[in-house]
Amino acid sequence: MQRLLAVLATAIAIGFGLFSLFGLALDSPLITDTTNLFLQLVTITVAVTILIGIYNLLTVHLGRVRGRRSGWFYSLILVVSALTVIVLTVLERAGVLTGEPAITVILLEQVQVAVESAFAGLLLFSLVYGAYRTLRKRVSGWGLLFVVALLVILAGALPLAQFDLFAAARDWLMAVPVSAGARGILLGIALATVVTGVRVLIGQDRSYRE
Amino acid sequence: METRLFTILILVVAFAAVVIATQVIRRRRDAFPLRLIRAYESLIPQVAAAIEANRPVHLSAGSAGLGGENTLLALVNAELFYRVAQQAAIGATSPIITTSDTTAIPLAYDTLRRAYESRGLLSSYRSSGVRWYPAGPRSLAYAAALTASLGVNNVYANVLVGSFGPELALIAEAAARRDQVLIAASDQLPGQAVAYAVSDQPLIGEEMFAAGAYLGDEASFRAALVAQDLLRWLLIIGLVVAAVAAVSPDFAQLLGNLLGTLAGGR
Repeated sequence: MQRLLAVLATAIAIGFGLFSLFGLALDSPLITDTTNLFLQLVTITVAVTILIGIYNLLTVHLGRVRGRRSGWFYSLILVVSALTVIVLTVLERAGVLTGEPAITVILLEQVQVAVESAFAGLLLFSLVYGAYRTLRKRVSGWGLLFVVALLVILAGALPLAQFDLFAAARDWLMAVPVSAGARGILLGIALATVVTGVRVLIGQDRSYRE
Repeated sequence: METRLFTILILVVAFAAVVIATQVIRRRRDAFPLRLIRAYESLIPQVAAAIEANRPVHLSAGSAGLGGENTLLALVNAELFYRVAQQAAIGATSPIITTSDTTAIPLAYDTLRRAYESRGLLSSYRSSGVRWYPAGPRSLAYAAALTASLGVNNVYANVLVGSFGPELALIAEAAARRDQVLIAASDQLPGQAVAYAVSDQPLIGEEMFAAGAYLGDEASFRAALVAQDLLRWLLIIGLVVAAVAAVSPDFAQLLGNLLGTLAGGR
């Protein structure tokens, strides 16, 4: 039975994949309309997964609270916060809470955005610490090159006339080696994505094969 | 129309390369040897060390999910996580898979379940090993949640391979403070730059897609690498020819005549 289901899943994945591919290659309105319908189904499925996410969040953290496992108090705060926001959103949508601005907007701007801004501020120090760790761990030619390039770019960003040479070096670094490297990485990822797509289309992917 | 033709041509070449290389590798295992990638070399020993220490391995694909532009990255990550979870399943502590994209949750559940099932340990599988942390507008909320989670769960090693931005630095710093091993890579350039700087063993770009070939033994995964290499060489040749044509009018004329003849013949 399990084998049959795997074959069915593979056939569905290959069928839908090839049909969508033909929609890309051909100009037939029938195929294009059908592939658009498939995409709408995907959108609905994605919306359903948000419910799975909320279920996951609540089960994992309620389990932690019930078992009094390490960090259970944080989980309790998380569950209470999540449920509070869900209830407030429902009340707002039902027209029970009518304040302006909406309380969920206030919570988002005063709590979520504020905390994320604080973390964004910490990011700079984490990045500097990361660069420091690079040299401490791997004193190699490439590691040195990485740190030298980083220092040149930081020095070039300073708004001082004495650092004009660094600014020119930074511009050249960004325009030539950095741009070339970035394109190389992106092209590599794109080629790997194409090949992975082909593997999926010919049924070699494990996620629905087993 | 030309772009569409070009797209189909790339797909046909990739398809032919994957199919032919799969058959060749099935007959001769050593037909296409793999170069060393230290991150994959060190991964399984790190999982073994985590089992010895009775601590979990943390796997995260960041914001890679199904149905979006990084769907295939999510599938490739699932293969990597399957291989790692398969090794970690014999330990007393379940590996932890976290994601910030809800579409990746069913995939993560399935990956973890299949890993335990492949070891005949389905009764040890716990769905609580999969955890969703909402990302927020800039994934910083996800990073904040993970910085706490790494300590609370006493993680041994982190495999952060997927779609991450610069917020990866926060997670890496939290891991470094607790002496946790970190292997990281991202399909986003800022995230990849941070991953290179902070990883114990970094992966770069398309190396993320090679997990199946390095951690498994199936011909089809190696064949995918051969197809990638073939496409890469074709691309390099195309770039070199275009560059020469740009600086040499004679060569450009010759190339134009050749392409014109081919188009006329068609």
